[in-house]
Amino acid sequence: MTTTLDTGPKVDPRPDGAPSRARSAGRTAGRLLPLGPALVLLALFMAGPVVWSFYGSFTDAALTGAAAQESSWIGLDNYTGLFSDPNFPKSVWLTVVFVVTSAIIGQNVLGLTLAMLMRQATGVVRAVVGTLVVTAWVLPEIVAAFAAYAFFHADGTLNEALGLVGLGGSNWLYDFPMLAVIIANIWRGAAFSMMVYAAALANLPPDVTEAATVDGASGPKRLMYVTLPMIRRSISTNFMLTTLMTLQVFTLIYVMTAGGPGTDSSTLPILAYQEAFSFGRVGYGTAIATIMLLIGAVFSIIYIRMLRPEVD
Amino acid sequence: MRLRVSVAVGMAASMVVMAGCGSDSDEAEGSGSDTLKVVYQKFGNFTQADEHFTQVKEDFEAEHDGVTVELVPIEAAQNDYFTKLALMHGSESTAPDVMYEDTFMIKSDVDAGYLLPLDDYLAEWDDWDQFYDNAKNAGVGDDGSTYGVPMGTDTRALWYNTELFEQAGISVPWEPQSWDDVLDTARTIQQELPDVIPLNVYSGKAMGEASSMQGFEMLLYGTEDRLYDEESQSWITGSQGFVDSLGFIQTIFDEGLAPSPQEALDPNLGNTVTGQWLPEGRLAIALDGSWQGGNWMESGEAPWPEWNDVMANAAMPTQNGQDPGAVSMSGGWTLAVGAGSKAPDLAFEFITMALDQENSRSYDVEASQIAVREDVAEDSEYIDANPSFEFFSEIVEFTHFRPATSDYPQISNEIQVAMESVMTGQQSPEEAAAAYDSAVERIVGADAVMSAG
Amino acid sequence: MAVSSRPISVAAPRRLSVRAISNTVLLVIGMCFLLPLGWLVLASIDESASLVASVPGSVSGANFDAVLTTDQTFRPLWNSFVLSGGCALITVVAAVLAAYPLSRYRMRFNKPFMYGVLFGTGLPITAMMVPVYGLFVRLNLLDSLTGTVFFLAATSLPMAIWMMKNFMDSVPVSLEEAAWVDGASAMKALRTVVVPLMRPGIAVVFIFVFIQAWGNFFVPFVLLLSPEKQPAAVSIFTFFGQYGSVAYGQLAAFSLLYAAPVLVLYVLVSRLLGGSFTMAGAVKG
Repeated sequence: MTTTLDTGPKVDPRPDGAPSRARSAGRTAGRLLPLGPALVLLALFMAGPVVWSFYGSFTDAALTGAAAQESSWIGLDNYTGLFSDPNFPKSVWLTVVFVVTSAIIGQNVLGLTLAMLMRQATGVVRAVVGTLVVTAWVLPEIVAAFAAYAFFHADGTLNEALGLVGLGGSNWLYDFPMLAVIIANIWRGAAFSMMVYAAALANLPPDVTEAATVDGASGPKRLMYVTLPMIRRSISTNFMLTTLMTLQVFTLIYVMTAGGPGTDSSTLPILAYQEAFSFGRVGYGTAIATIMLLIGAVFSIIYIRMLRPEVD
Repeated sequence: MRLRVSVAVGMAASMVVMAGCGSDSDEAEGSGSDTLKVVYQKFGNFTQADEHFTQVKEDFEAEHDGVTVELVPIEAAQNDYFTKLALMHGSESTAPDVMYEDTFMIKSDVDAGYLLPLDDYLAEWDDWDQFYDNAKNAGVGDDGSTYGVPMGTDTRALWYNTELFEQAGISVPWEPQSWDDVLDTARTIQQELPDVIPLNVYSGKAMGEASSMQGFEMLLYGTEDRLYDEESQSWITGSQGFVDSLGFIQTIFDEGLAPSPQEALDPNLGNTVTGQWLPEGRLAIALDGSWQGGNWMESGEAPWPEWNDVMANAAMPTQNGQDPGAVSMSGGWTLAVGAGSKAPDLAFEFITMALDQENSRSYDVEASQIAVREDVAEDSEYIDANPSFEFFSEIVEFTHFRPATSDYPQISNEIQVAMESVMTGQQSPEEAAAAYDSAVERIVGADAVMSAG
Repeated sequence: MAVSSRPISVAAPRRLSVRAISNTVLLVIGMCFLLPLGWLVLASIDESASLVASVPGSVSGANFDAVLTTDQTFRPLWNSFVLSGGCALITVVAAVLAAYPLSRYRMRFNKPFMYGVLFGTGLPITAMMVPVYGLFVRLNLLDSLTGTVFFLAATSLPMAIWMMKNFMDSVPVSLEEAAWVDGASAMKALRTVVVPLMRPGIAVVFIFVFIQAWGNFFVPFVLLLSPEKQPAAVSIFTFFGQYGSVAYGQLAAFSLLYAAPVLVLYVLVSRLLGGSFTMAGAVKG
C-alpha cells in the first residue's frame, strides 16, 4: 500500500550513488522503454490536435460562413467575449455545483458505501445489487438519459412512487432541474466509484483492520483512522477521475433539460456544444473547452494537495 | 531488458502495420472524374433520401457507362450532419460532388466556399422553368447566383381537432382572419372544454428552432415587420411587430390558453404533441408543420388511422388580416454541387436526373414534402398520396424563408430567450424585445443592424 | 470473501446483525437504482410506448422483432465489439507497460509526465474532433476501423495510465524482489508477479475503457464514413425521427440489446476475479 510505496524499498531510489552520469542516463532511458507504446499513441493522435485546438481558441475558426474558408487570429477576443457574456459565470458556477455534488460527494460517498456494505453482505444480495448499480453505468449515455428523463418526468415513475407512499410529487425537471440532473448523474456514475473502492478494499491487508478491531476501534473510527487513510490514493485518484468525467457530462443534461429552463442547468459542455455545433463557432467553443480544462486542472491540484503530498 | 525492448518495438511495428491497413478504405481516396460522391442525411425514419438516391444511382450508372456513383449516407441528426458535411468539405479527398443541402445553410456555405454556382447549368436546363420562384430563391447565395436545386419544401399552419371544435360549438371549417380570431376561438375552447389545452405555439429554448420558426416567426411575418432586411443585409431592431408577436405569446401563456410553462419548456414536447396530445384529444389547436400528417400515416412514427377525419387545417392569419391574409414559413432542402468537385458537369447531370418530374414526385410523396415543381404539385398522383398535401401546397404562395445568414442560429437562440422570459412572466414584451435588440447588436455588430424606428 | 478469512471470534452474533443491516441497506439502494430502469423494460414490450412509464395493455415482442435485424442491431453491435474490445485491449497493454516504470522507479521524469497525463485526462475530445479529422485524412486512416481503434485507445490512455499506476503502486515491491533474486528480468517480474496480483485493477481499467468506447458516438461518427462500419452508438439514432419524433418502444428494446453485452462482460469478469480478490488480500502480510 501507500506506506510501502512511499518509504518502499525502491530498486534504485535516486542516482545519488550512481557511478557515472552516463551510465545512469542509459539506465533511465532503458527503464523508460515500456512507456514507448503509450507515448507513441499519445504523440501520434493527441499532441497535434491538442495544440491545434488551443491555437483555435484564439481564432474565429468556424464550420461554415466566411471564417470557415480562412480563419484569422483574433487574440483573446473569444475569451473576453466569454467573460462579458452573463451566461458564462452562471455556467461555470453550475458546472462546479454539478461536479462537487454529483461526483465528489454523491458518487464517491455512495460508491464507497456500496463497496463497504458489499463486503459484509450475502453473496446473492451482492450480486443482485451490484448488477443493478453497474447496469445504470453500462447503459449508453443517451439511453440512461432517456431513462432518467422518464423517471423525473411530471407523470413519471418518481412521482408515481411518491404518490404511493402518500407524498406529493413535483415537476422535477422544471422546478429543480439541477437536483434532477445531479441525482441522475449519481445514479449513473456510482458504479465506477464502487468498483474502484471495491478493488482498493480488496487489496487492503486484512490484518490491519483486524488489529484495529482488536484494539477496540469502533466502526466509524476504524473507517476514519484506518481504512480511509489506507486507501487515500484510490480516493484521490477516484476524486480526480469522477471529477474529470463529470465535467464532460453532456448528453444526460441535454436530453433531460436541454440546459433549461432558461439557462438554469446549462453547464459548460452544453454551452460549448451550442457554440461549436449549433452556431458553428469552433474557435469560441474551443475557448470554452480550454476553460473546462482549467477547471479540471484546478480540481486536480486541490486533490493532490489535500490527499497526497507528492506525485511520484 | 531485452524483453522490454522487443515488446516496445513490437508495439511500434504493429502500429505501423495497422496504420498501413488504413489505406484499404477506398472512401478516403480522392474521387476520380468518373466517380461521383453523393452525400446525404439518413436519420431515423428519414430513409427516403437514401432510397431515392439508391434508385437514381442505378439509373444514372446505367445511362453513363463507366461512371460510378458513390453514396455516402450520414446517419445523424441535423447539427451532426452539418458538422460532418463541413468536415468533409474541408479535405479535398473527402469533398462531396453532390450533396443534400439545407436551404438554410446555403448562404453561409457559399461564404465558406463549399458550393459551386449553378447559373450556367440552370440556364440550359428546360425543367428549371417548372420550379416555383420562391422555391428558387431559397437556393440563391448572397452574390445572387443560384447554388441549390430545391427538392421540396415544408410549410406551417394551424392544425385543429374538428371533434373538439364541434364539442365546443365552434363551426368547422374554421377560417380565422386575424390573431384575435385565433385567440377568441382558443378562449371559447378554454370555457367549453376546461380539460383541453386550447392552443400550442412552440415557445422557449427547450424546443429550439421549432420555437423560432413554427412559433415566433409565424407571428412576426404576419405583422408589418421582418427579422432581416435583405436589401441592406442588416438585422432589424426595435420593431413594433416584434413586440406584438411577443405580446401574443404573453397573452396565450398568461390566460392559460397555452400549455403550462412547465409543459412548454419540456425538450420532448414535440413528441408529446404529435404522439399523445393531438391523437388523444388533449390539444385543440396546434401551430405546426406540414409533415405532421406523415407522422400519423401508417408508415409514420405515431400511426393514427383516423387522423385525416379528426384533424383539419387552417392557414395562420396575419395580425389584423392585412394582405395577403395568411402567413407561412418554409424550410426545405436542395441538391448542390461541391466547389471542389472534379466532375461538375456530371454532378449537375446527376441532379437533373434526381429531380426530374418523376423523381421529384416520388421523393416528395415518400418524404411528405411540399412540391416545388408546378408539374408535380398539379399531379393527381401527388395530391392523392397524402390528404393534407393539397392544403399545404396552397399556402406556399404566402410563405417566407428564414434569413439564411451564418448569424441566424445565434439570433434564433436570442428569439427563444426573449420568448421564454415573456412566457414565464420574467419580462414584459417590451423589455424582452429590448434585450433581444442589444443581443443582436452584440452578435452581428452595430453596422449590421437597422432600427425599424 | 474477506469475511471468511477472519478468525471466528466471540463477535460472531454481532457480525450476523451487521450482515443483515448491510443486506437491507443494499437492497434499498438497489431498489433506487432499479426504478429508473423500469421505464426501459416496460417500454420495450409496449408497442405504443411513450416517455411515461406505464404497464402496457398487452405484452408485445413487436419492438424486438422490429429491431432484430442485421443492419439495425447485429452488425452495429459487432462493430461496437471490435472497436471497444480492440481499444480496451490496446489501452490496457500500453497502460500496464507505461505504469510499470512510473510506479517502480523514482525518476525526475515521473512528475511532469504524470501531470501531463492528468492534463490529458480532462481533454474534451469533442472539441478536438475538427483537427483530428484533418489528421486522419492526412494519414489516410479515414473510414478505417483500425485507425479508429487506435485513436480511441489514445484518448483513453491518460485515464488508464493514471488508474493503472495507482493500482500498481499498491502491489508491494518486495514480491518482485524475490523474482529478481531468481534472475528474472523486470518485464518478467511484471508479467509473472505484478500483473496477476493486480488483476482486479486491470479488470476495472479494461471494463472502464471498454464501456467508454462502447457508448462513444462522436469519434466513430466523425472518423468512419461507411454505414456498415458504424457501431451501435451511431445506429441508435435510427430511432430518432427527422422532426424530433422518437420511436420509444424500439429505442428501449434496442437499448436493452445494446446494454446486454457490456453487462455480460461485467458479470463474467467479476466472476473470473472472484477468487483473486481474496488472493490479493492473502498474499499481503
